[in-house]
Amino acid sequence: MAEYKAFTQEWMDAWKEKITGSQEYKEIAKDWEGSVSITVNADPSKNVPETVYMFTDYWHGDVRDFVLCDAARAQTAKFVMSGDYARWKQVAKKELDATKALMQGKLKLKGDLTYVVRNIKTVNKVIDLLTEVNTIFPDEG
Amino acid sequence: MDYSIVNNAQDLPFSFIVQDIIAGNLERSAAKLAVFKKMEGIAAIDLPDIAAAVTLIFQRGKLTLETGIVSNPAIIIKTSSDIVTDLNLLKICCGLPCYFNASGRRVLRHLLAGNLRIKGLFTHPVLLNRFTEIMSVI
Repeated sequence: MAEYKAFTQEWMDAWKEKITGSQEYKEIAKDWEGSVSITVNADPSKNVPETVYMFTDYWHGDVRDFVLCDAARAQTAKFVMSGDYARWKQVAKKELDATKALMQGKLKLKGDLTYVVRNIKTVNKVIDLLTEVNTIFPDEG
Repeated sequence: MDYSIVNNAQDLPFSFIVQDIIAGNLERSAAKLAVFKKMEGIAAIDLPDIAAAVTLIFQRGKLTLETGIVSNPAIIIKTSSDIVTDLNLLKICCGLPCYFNASGRRVLRHLLAGNLRIKGLFTHPVLLNRFTEIMSVI
């Protein structure tokens, strides 16, 4: 099975492919509208020398842009999620539940929280599909 | 908007989640705002798995959040962090939580299994229903 270096465009493409290939996602996400940016804070000690910004866009079960971006574009997303590299790695390895991480302040969310809670199944499904991507993490590769 | 929320529990990230959900609901729903303005009493949410507890003191249009369980709340919801969001998905019908859809049945199952405990469930039903209504995002 192909492996992808985390936080590269190839890795994002593989994640997007998982989402677009999921019939379950299409059904769960039929009401979701809007973009989510993900900010992974720099952690030079873990081989993440610079903050990584990703822009992902979802529309009623379809997936639109799914790209690495700069800080300015990340801020334009409907929802901005941010956190330290170690936390995102835990989420991507299914060691940390994203909702729990938000409640504990390990991840932060900017945007309408009521919308996210209403669509929590969609959020969880997107993260579940991320955990299916065979990922090489910067501090493991 | 004619209400206020004071968060004295800023050391607790979970308090911001509670604050954001309530504020978001009050901004988007006049009905929830009307309920909020009637609320008087103290409720708390206790999530032992993430060591987070927050007390909500309602004073007719004003809400104060405090860290921990303080001031002898009439309502205490004790559950885990993965179950508490199910309460936010309860549909409210005629001012009462609906237990006949999927979310409602899930909450009932948690109650029956003991994974969700509510102090004041039978003794303070009005405050509990109102609390449920302003926390529900549906």
